[in-house]
Amino acid sequence: MGIKFKLEKDWHTYWKNPGDAGEGATIKWNLSPGLSASSILWPGPERIPVVPLMTFGYNDEVVLLTRITSTEKIRFPLKLEAEVTWFTCKDICIPQEGVVDVEIEEGEFLASTHNTELKNYMSMVPTTFTGNLRVEELDNKFFVQSVSPGDEQYSNVYFFPYEYGLTSYTKDQIYEKNQNSFTLEIEASEFSLDLGMFEGIIETSTPEGKKFYSISYPLKTDKSESNTNVFLLIIFAFVGGLILNIMPCVFPILSIKILRFVEHSENSSANTLRYGLFYTLGAVLSFLLIALLLVILKSSGENIGWGFQLQYPLVISILFYLFVALGFMFMSNLVFGSSLGNLGSFAQVKNESLESFLTGVLAVVVASPCTAPFMGSAIGFALLQPSLNSFVIFFSLGIGFALPYLILSIKPSLLSFLPKPGAWMETFKQFMAFPMWASALWLLWVLSGQVDKDTVLLVLIGGLIISLSLWLLEKNTSKKLGIKWLVRLLVITLIVGSISILPTEYSVKESRAERPGYSEALLNEYRDSNQLVFLNFTADWCITCKVNEKVALNSQEVISVIEKKNIKYLEADWTRKDADIARKLEEYGRTGVPLYLLFPSVGDPIILPEILTKDILLDYLNELT
Amino acid sequence: MQKTFFILIFSLLSQFIFSFVQNDEAAPDFQLLDSNGDEIVLSSFRGKRVVLEWTNHGCPFVAKHYKSGNMQSTQDFVKDKNTVWLSIISSAPGTQGYISPKKANELTASRNAFPSHVLFDPSGVVGRKYSAKTTPHMYIIDEQGLLKYQGAIDDAGGRGFMSKDLLKANNYVKKGLKELASGEEVSSPVTKPYGCSVKYSS
Repeated sequence: MGIKFKLEKDWHTYWKNPGDAGEGATIKWNLSPGLSASSILWPGPERIPVVPLMTFGYNDEVVLLTRITSTEKIRFPLKLEAEVTWFTCKDICIPQEGVVDVEIEEGEFLASTHNTELKNYMSMVPTTFTGNLRVEELDNKFFVQSVSPGDEQYSNVYFFPYEYGLTSYTKDQIYEKNQNSFTLEIEASEFSLDLGMFEGIIETSTPEGKKFYSISYPLKTDKSESNTNVFLLIIFAFVGGLILNIMPCVFPILSIKILRFVEHSENSSANTLRYGLFYTLGAVLSFLLIALLLVILKSSGENIGWGFQLQYPLVISILFYLFVALGFMFMSNLVFGSSLGNLGSFAQVKNESLESFLTGVLAVVVASPCTAPFMGSAIGFALLQPSLNSFVIFFSLGIGFALPYLILSIKPSLLSFLPKPGAWMETFKQFMAFPMWASALWLLWVLSGQVDKDTVLLVLIGGLIISLSLWLLEKNTSKKLGIKWLVRLLVITLIVGSISILPTEYSVKESRAERPGYSEALLNEYRDSNQLVFLNFTADWCITCKVNEKVALNSQEVISVIEKKNIKYLEADWTRKDADIARKLEEYGRTGVPLYLLFPSVGDPIILPEILTKDILLDYLNELT
Repeated sequence: MQKTFFILIFSLLSQFIFSFVQNDEAAPDFQLLDSNGDEIVLSSFRGKRVVLEWTNHGCPFVAKHYKSGNMQSTQDFVKDKNTVWLSIISSAPGTQGYISPKKANELTASRNAFPSHVLFDPSGVVGRKYSAKTTPHMYIIDEQGLLKYQGAIDDAGGRGFMSKDLLKANNYVKKGLKELASGEEVSSPVTKPYGCSVKYSS
């Protein structure tokens, strides 16, 4: 069934997503028993700009279709009635409503003009797109890419979203037609509502007219990824907390404290347990307080625009410095804030439950001179985590820190099994430098994937300067205040200097410059020596090429396979149309880019698809012989 | 210096282009005449919350919100809550909704509405600054002058609007103000505005 809306000239009514303003029609069917109606089958809409806005609808005329189905044998005459509401708009809008009905008698089918009209509009109702389609989201833009289904060549493609908050309605979409595929570049909505799905219809133009297809593609949401390692981090934090206890400046204090409580409790196990619990409470709360401060710092940081994401070269380099410095602090006798250790004596209060609580708090503070390196790494990791995880990590750290004491307060007899404080603790502390430096190495490896090798060297030099600065601080024991401050000033200058040289931008792509450009002679040279060759025809203005490069060609896996198999990579840059390159393209029946050719050691080249994914490209590269 | 230069260029450009203001950013300041002939400056309300309502009495969507009493009930909700309500008309001269100050006051009285001020923006400069698309299109600005909400007045948008009971709809403006008053973040800070297009001069 079709309901026809015949509007006066220049008036329009709306599609199911009206765009920036207006509303689509509603149809409520009153049907004979046994009949049921589908939802409205909307023909593909037109763009109706209302400067500066954009709406989607139908000018002059539209037929909205409904599929009526019957579960039983139809009894004639059939009565169909529809209550319709809709908006008719030009520069102003008028809400309208009406009832239409029809009675159908039994009889022969007669083709009428209405029938042609229905068929016409039916052909404008979108069908599911059968082409191999994908959607990439890069830099606030969506790239809809597809191999054209069948032999269809679209002169233009336009996307209409189903929902608000996905793509921009007003900005132009850029359509790029390739040999047998297309790329459509669409600006994301100014307000992203994280819909999770890229859904809507595409309008394709061919010489025969317009056709509409519905498309639906799940979008990557990278929010769920960070949860995978939380459990591991909790364990690390817990073990870290345990290890904190045997740091040289914590262990002696704790032993004394434990003995004190054992004496005070006069062997009443209920009392010792209570002190143990209060101590645990004090320690855990202090750690949670640190987590709270961190979260506040982090969110205020995000408010002023710096995110702590591991992807940024700057963040990775600073973490590298941090871990180099932490390792150095474990290895040396360098301590910060050693005067805090004296605070321990303040914890002697009359109320013993309160005293145990304060001891817990102070153990965290007191321990800080030698726990700073540990806390530093915990803070470093917590900053990269969502806020909730930071609390969990520090909670776990606190539990780990307080647990030995809690166990001892339950069973004081275990005290005799504890090793005596001594030189071994210093040795252990120095050993802890190596995990720190191992972390620094790992960060450097991550960084090497993001920036070129000169920048990596620069960061390494920075690490050297940081170590030198810390060494200067350690040896800075001059009695003369002037000299002492002079050295400190020098150290600060050095540290600030080494941070200021850090990379803020990704620079790995500059290595592309090292890749040789295409020339017929070079290609022949490689071919004559039976080398594997990957020939990439690209241009700066080619959207498909750029998406392929970002998604597939420049991925770490692809680069490493190309290196491993010693495939010669040649780039034919057609940004400024070059006669030699044009001739080569013509050889393969092409008039434009992209074109990807893979030359095996012997024989004709393989022509790769125009739309590359990492997996497709890796398959081809791995099979190349 | 460079920054000032960019701000200058940008604010010049924003007179002509449709710009977008994001939540948690400073709401663009403006100075407009109200229906009593007074100059109203947005920044003079710092320390109070401000609700902006884009309106056009001829728009059937707006008409329904006033006829059902939904808009008035929302205005009533903000009363005595340290909140200013500014109704803004961005209709260009000769288009629907462009009215005289006298007519605006008559409308307010006849509809039993109580906006703090009805403002005129016939050039559409302020509407474009806020990328106001529809009537109604609602914005909430907090005491610090930061934009906290933009979108529809409620969730009654979508097909079949004219037959919906607005008083039963989920009112985003009331909800947002409630959340702000209790120190929370606005839970749905951006919603799809619905209604007639704002009748800008093209």
